[in-house]
Amino acid sequence: MQINAEKSWSKNTDHHVKKKRRKFSTEFWMLIPSMVLLAIISIFPFLYLIYASFMDFTISFQRPEFIGLGNWIYVLSDSLFWSSWGRTILYVGVGLGLQLLIGVGMALAIYHLPKGKNIVVTLWMIPVFVAPVVAGLLGRYLLNSTYGLYDWFFSLLGMETQILGDTMTSMPAIILMDVWEWTPLITLIVLAGLNSLSSEPLEAADVDGANYLQKLTYVILPLIAKTIVVALLVRSMDILRFVDKIKIATEGGPADSTKVAGYYLMEVAFKFQDFGAGSVLGITMLIVTIFLGQFFVKFMMDKQ
Amino acid sequence: MARKKRNNKKLLTQMALYFIVFLGLTWALVPIIWMVLSSLKTQAGMFAMPPKIFFEPNFDTFKYMFSEDGGFLNYLRNSVVASVTSTVISLVLGALGGYALARGRFKQTKHIAFWIISTRMAPIPAVMLPLYLLFTQLNLVGTMTGLIFAYTTFNLPFALWMMMIFFKEVPEALEEAAMIDGCSKFQAFLKIAVPTATTGLVATGILCLMFAWNDFMFASIFSGHSTQTIPVAASMLITQQGIAWGQAMATGTVIITPMVVAGLAVRKYLVQGLSMGAVK
Repeated sequence: MQINAEKSWSKNTDHHVKKKRRKFSTEFWMLIPSMVLLAIISIFPFLYLIYASFMDFTISFQRPEFIGLGNWIYVLSDSLFWSSWGRTILYVGVGLGLQLLIGVGMALAIYHLPKGKNIVVTLWMIPVFVAPVVAGLLGRYLLNSTYGLYDWFFSLLGMETQILGDTMTSMPAIILMDVWEWTPLITLIVLAGLNSLSSEPLEAADVDGANYLQKLTYVILPLIAKTIVVALLVRSMDILRFVDKIKIATEGGPADSTKVAGYYLMEVAFKFQDFGAGSVLGITMLIVTIFLGQFFVKFMMDKQ
Repeated sequence: MARKKRNNKKLLTQMALYFIVFLGLTWALVPIIWMVLSSLKTQAGMFAMPPKIFFEPNFDTFKYMFSEDGGFLNYLRNSVVASVTSTVISLVLGALGGYALARGRFKQTKHIAFWIISTRMAPIPAVMLPLYLLFTQLNLVGTMTGLIFAYTTFNLPFALWMMMIFFKEVPEALEEAAMIDGCSKFQAFLKIAVPTATTGLVATGILCLMFAWNDFMFASIFSGHSTQTIPVAASMLITQQGIAWGQAMATGTVIITPMVVAGLAVRKYLVQGLSMGAVK
């Protein structure tokens, strides 16, 4: 690690130089423990993942054999790899789109409520605390075709359905479980943005005779757009991180219809014990996260 | 006349707003209310069609879970030990490192920030695979140590990141004044910066607890028979023969209750934490 201490060498008196150096070294030693642990939990596994992607674990788990690009060729020519990424894009894209739409809508509705904002926000945010495993269990329970509450509603409407058992409706159901759990977070973020808006631009728009929709599209949304983008970046990385709901509610089925990249990786590695192919999948997922993370850090650092 | 018309319009808008909010809250809360109600029903009551909203609460499921046979107290202990230990480790190292990143003038701060975020946001399956191979060699699969280590993979980068943000908000002048009075830099950190950032520290700690407490994926692979956590126990209720829904709903209620209480207590910092500091 290098420090920016050089500048102070030339400009400052001896006394200052001494102070500057001391200041650096304390902070340096404060940083070291966490950096060492962070290296152990991130760099080492990452290097191991790359190593494992060139090894064959299927013959002997204890003594893997080097097979060069074998795993890479196998995974990249596997149709399930591409279709699982396709489903991932659908899951993230549609999920985030709905969260954004409902989240912003609710935020605007709550923002303009004359009374009771606080209690509404408190109640609205409760799903955020729900563990993904519980969200999955609830989805499976409510949609059960013989005794599920939601299924009962559907049957009242004359629909006989097997929502989680049908390849057409299983993915939408999984998406809605994520939307249910995380839309409130988007609302809270947008509300924070709305509350921090200064009244001047809105008053100027009023003077110009703008209607509500115009104020929304030309004044409010552009002002909080950056916050929303950052929120979506965090959410997209988060959706890639978790597959708990899918594991509990559908186990990737029926007929692979909910098998997203993360779930496929879990299955390849921990069910079929093919850690080599799993590593290739893991590297592709990490590349996507690192790409999104770079944007996030750039946004965050620019803001400061 | 015109004024009356405008008042009517305003009233209509307000009614529409309350209606939208009511719909939203219904959608958000019905599953949770239904879960709690179901956990208090008898087996026959749970599966009654049409569903019952009014019934006599029955605590047998909870009584069984917390009895000797239910084994739930073991899961509870495992969950608490794993999440609290990983939180304490992450919080101590995160506060030290986060302070250093906030105050130090390291050339690589941006690279370190990127490294921290990538580690925090790395897809869990991609982290689990190499950790699993490593843990099997070190005989850590199924142990509490392994589970705590696994939770640190997401809690340490989170604590580092959040504490960096919180310490940046503490005015440096306070510490400088203390240092003029003869404090060392580290003493200034302990006596001035940490007390000033206490709420941030508590909020970060509660969110760390929440992430670890709610984890299912790591625990499903890394916890063994004696180290099973509550979310894993909940998933074990799904069997080939069917699902013990009464227990599943009761377990779900136990999982979410402490998190709702603690989460609402740090409400102000929740959005900041869950958006990785992007929103204040």
